[in-house]
Amino acid sequence: MKRSWFRHLLSLHGILFLIFVYAPITVVVVYSFNSHPVNMMIWKEFTFDWYWSIFGFPTELNEQTLYVESTDQLLASVKNSFIVAFSTTTFATVVGTSTALALYRYQFRMQSFYRGLLYMPMVMPDIVLGIALLVFFVTFGIKLGLMSIIVGHCTFLVSYVFIVVTARLAGMDQSLEQASADLGATPWTTFRRITLPQIMPGVIGGALLAFIISMDDLVITYFIAGVDSTTLPVFIYGMLRRGVKPEINAIATLMLVFSFVIASLGLYLRSRK
Amino acid sequence: MRQTDTIAEVKGAVKSFAAPEGGKVRALDGISLEILHGQFVTLLGPSGCGKTTLLRTISGFEELDAGEVRIAGVKMTNVPPHRRPVNTVFQNYALFPHLSVDDNVGYGLDVSGVARNERDRRVNEALDRVGLSGFGLRKPDQLSGGQRQRVALARAIINRPKLLLLDEPLSALDRNLRQTMQLELKSLQNDLGICFLFVTHDQEEALTMSDLVVILNKGQIEQTGTPEELYHQPATPFVAEFVGDGSLFTGRIENTSDRPVLKTNDGLCLPLGRDARVGETATLLLRPEHLRLAPDQNDESLGILEATLEQSVFHGAIRNYICRLSNGALLTVALDASDTAYKRITTGDQLRLAYPRNLPYLIKQSGNGT
Ligand SMILES: Nc1ncnc2c1ncn2[C@@H]1O[C@H](COP(=O)(O)OP(=O)(O)OP(=O)(O)O)[C@@H](O)[C@H]1O
Ligand SMILES: [Mg+2]
Repeated sequence: MKRSWFRHLLSLHGILFLIFVYAPITVVVVYSFNSHPVNMMIWKEFTFDWYWSIFGFPTELNEQTLYVESTDQLLASVKNSFIVAFSTTTFATVVGTSTALALYRYQFRMQSFYRGLLYMPMVMPDIVLGIALLVFFVTFGIKLGLMSIIVGHCTFLVSYVFIVVTARLAGMDQSLEQASADLGATPWTTFRRITLPQIMPGVIGGALLAFIISMDDLVITYFIAGVDSTTLPVFIYGMLRRGVKPEINAIATLMLVFSFVIASLGLYLRSRK
Repeated sequence: MRQTDTIAEVKGAVKSFAAPEGGKVRALDGISLEILHGQFVTLLGPSGCGKTTLLRTISGFEELDAGEVRIAGVKMTNVPPHRRPVNTVFQNYALFPHLSVDDNVGYGLDVSGVARNERDRRVNEALDRVGLSGFGLRKPDQLSGGQRQRVALARAIINRPKLLLLDEPLSALDRNLRQTMQLELKSLQNDLGICFLFVTHDQEEALTMSDLVVILNKGQIEQTGTPEELYHQPATPFVAEFVGDGSLFTGRIENTSDRPVLKTNDGLCLPLGRDARVGETATLLLRPEHLRLAPDQNDESLGILEATLEQSVFHGAIRNYICRLSNGALLTVALDASDTAYKRITTGDQLRLAYPRNLPYLIKQSGNGT
């Protein structure tokens, strides 16, 4: 029948799409367990060695094939990434959420202009933002380091949180706040007991988004990171320039697992009303 | 408190909104209103006449441009909503979706720091009152429309407000449930002794429930009165048309063979009672129950109209006969459906309709009639 023919085509489309998206990732994960030291496209045998080696444990691998010269460097970059991501997320979440609330609640002149300003960083090319921040920091004599990365990330992550929370606010029933006030709650109580719980999924979603983006950002960070403040993506990029080695697969897989955990956490918190 | 104590008072309330399409909308245009202790007052009016706006100025969500609101004698200007001794049942209920029924109802007590025992006791009492004991642990989205409505009600009465504002609380319910809730609301109001200010655009609802009905039109009060007064003595043609069924005839009162009649522009001649003042312009209101089929013998006390039957509509105990008069106007006659004498009437028949000359109500034309 014509219909079933169409349905098959549709399923095929779905399968091809999934392959298209997930095949490269699967390859990375699979080959992170491949023990062939030179050509990682040739499967030799299953091993955890690459994982051991990136954390600096002794392995049976030939020293020559190893690539991360110093596990300390890697761990330092991971630590930097976490410091940046946590600070940025905290700041961007607080500022982004308050901004969203302010624009939602109050009517003032040039409101849509402000709104536009807040959407801008979303469409601004990363590279432009990176250069602009670099020029700014250099001009004002601000030392490049963790602080400059945090400031740089905040400039655009505030927007992300703002947009997510605004979307949530738009779906909130405005009469809830009025009902709360009507029952005698002060504005602060209303915020704490009604507004915040209502927008919480948005706030958490925005925060997780900010966290992931901050952890993951390469382009902007590349411009504004100091010598001693390398983050994980910048570190990996540095490794790549000297050729793709199997350990990168292991690092990538670990990052993947981490992102997956964060995303699942987000989904879980969202589904819990 | 005595029956005559004023609980709430609105004086010369004016409120306009800037309409986005330019110009101003006068949502309230000089409203004055007084609510006495224990009264059930209904605001009735067509959509957009300012009912919600009036409620919101009383609850404090809207500031007046001019005039004032007093509750229990205290001027409410600049008093924020959370410090006003009124509570509201919102049109969409506005239940807090993340709180259980129990916490929704207890919210007013929780935010004012009432002790746990006292709070629990009062929440249970309120839930009991609206017939929802045992539903405390549910979330609002696990309730039916009628149950949500009851939760909203319980939540609003728990603070024992001086005045309860209800904005079309029954409009989302189906007809049966609505009638049950009307009765329940009324008896709840009697029990609690709280004043209710109830908004509706359903005239039947207004008539069945209220001690006092305020008819609003375009931001102004057309008439304030008991349901009987509004039905039998409407002050304006607008009220006459809005409350109950009936037909209006406007014309000049003249003398024909020594008895007053109302002559309309399109040639109808309607006999009136003795007290009609010749020379005036007036509007006659004929309600369906005023009209009967005319007897064969002449009767001076009856006004007679010739009409053609267009349609008859079954309404249970009565049957409505919709007739067309010689000037083209429609007139509804309500007759006892069980009376076999009317069985023979069929569509297209010429009918002679009669009404008691003294019974129908004459609305004086006072300049600004609609
Ligand atoms: N915030 C606002 N901005 C502009 N105009 C408004 C605003 N609120 C109400 N109005 C206007 O004021 C008038 C009265 O509105 P209101 O909501 O009081 O009507 P209502 O009697 O409650 O009608 P309904 O029965 O449809 O609920 C309407 O013409 C409406 O368009
Ligand atoms: Mg309304």
